[in-house]
Amino acid sequence: MLLAALVVLGVVIEVVVPGRAIYHAGWYNVALAALAIWAIASLRRVPLVAFGIGAIAFAGIASGLLGPDTRTVIGAPGTSLRVDEAGGTLVFPPLHVDQPIGASRFTATALLRSVPRTVVAIAAFDRRGAHLTITQPTGAAFLSPVLLMQNTQTIAGFTLPYDTFAVPAAHRIVKAVLFSAAQAASMPALSMVRGSVVLFDLEDDTGASIPHGIGVAPEGQLIRLGDLGLRATVMSYPAIEVTSIPDLAVLAAGFLAILIGALLTRRPWRGKIGKL
Amino acid sequence: MNPRTRWLLIVAAAAIALIILVPLFRSQGPSVSGPAGMAGQAAPVFSLHDDRGAVVSLAQYRGKIVVMNLWASWCPPCRAEMPDLQTVAREYAKDGVVVIGVNQGESAARASAFARSLEIAFPIWIDDGQQYGRVYAALGLPTTVVIDRLGAVERGFDGPLTIEQMRSTITQAVRGT
Repeated sequence: MLLAALVVLGVVIEVVVPGRAIYHAGWYNVALAALAIWAIASLRRVPLVAFGIGAIAFAGIASGLLGPDTRTVIGAPGTSLRVDEAGGTLVFPPLHVDQPIGASRFTATALLRSVPRTVVAIAAFDRRGAHLTITQPTGAAFLSPVLLMQNTQTIAGFTLPYDTFAVPAAHRIVKAVLFSAAQAASMPALSMVRGSVVLFDLEDDTGASIPHGIGVAPEGQLIRLGDLGLRATVMSYPAIEVTSIPDLAVLAAGFLAILIGALLTRRPWRGKIGKL
Repeated sequence: MNPRTRWLLIVAAAAIALIILVPLFRSQGPSVSGPAGMAGQAAPVFSLHDDRGAVVSLAQYRGKIVVMNLWASWCPPCRAEMPDLQTVAREYAKDGVVVIGVNQGESAARASAFARSLEIAFPIWIDDGQQYGRVYAALGLPTTVVIDRLGAVERGFDGPLTIEQMRSTITQAVRGT
């Protein structure tokens, strides 16, 4: 009985406290398998209970050995991404709706949690102030003006997120590097600015630098670099953290088998408990 | 072989079989990419302004077949495709087909001037937040999405279409095939 309880505990904890690296460790799963085999052998006279323990152990070991490590799925607002662990498609909400940051949801084999991420929405304008199209030829969504800032580079000892976008009508490729408020405050050149700062670096569409094509703009303020006006708005947008867990259907079947087995073989089960 | 050993072997064999078999039953569906991946889904709807400033929405075209073309004035294939869209808009109007050009990210003045220069008579909408481009997973411009009378995406196309492709697609949509 103690062995069976240890097996159940070792698997259930993967659901209650998900995402720990230890669950994917080989020794953890070998120990779980050894305990399960021992428990099943001890419970062979109550086969339904033994089956239930086996099913629960299997769910835990399969998740530990085959389930992917915890990963974060990042999508542009309004886009959809197929996530096999989630058993479906994740739809990322438009920017103007309330963002469900902090929400969590179980699927059969994964726990999905929305976690905040900093993204930058860009607006571009021509010399007369007319709106221009933003594209992201190498981004997650070609026609999105929202930069997901998935790359990093080091400037002055800070690791800073950056992204690139194109303004095809102006024949410009723009790199945007984000400094947080704290990072900006600690840099002499930016210390007068309050809040986040975005550094823009312009090239033409052949990759050549543009004279006076580098500038920094406080978040939300328009900056003019040559013929192009740019405004960056820094905002929080959810990413989805996907954590694999033991298959809930298999766990439920295991617990059901244990329950039915215990009820059907009440006396022998009690005797078995006494022996264990 | 004693019963205990036999039991252990059976359990081990079952565990191994399950570990091998379960991943095979996991969903391995393709990633959604491009406007073609939207087929069969309800067409997302946003309120926008047209090039004259009126509030417009796809919802007002429920019951009609909508050919929604995402475009921008800086895009040469969009320019090349526009006259053919105007031709099919005129040819299929009697069948309840509406062509809408949704400009991506540009000002109303620029979009309107571009449409006038090509003598475009179908509605031009201004999507300066590029919402339709994002949601319909546009991989480039132009992107064309055909929406059926019930408001579901029937087909999606990445890149320019020839007038024969437009006629064939719209004819199928009108026939409901």
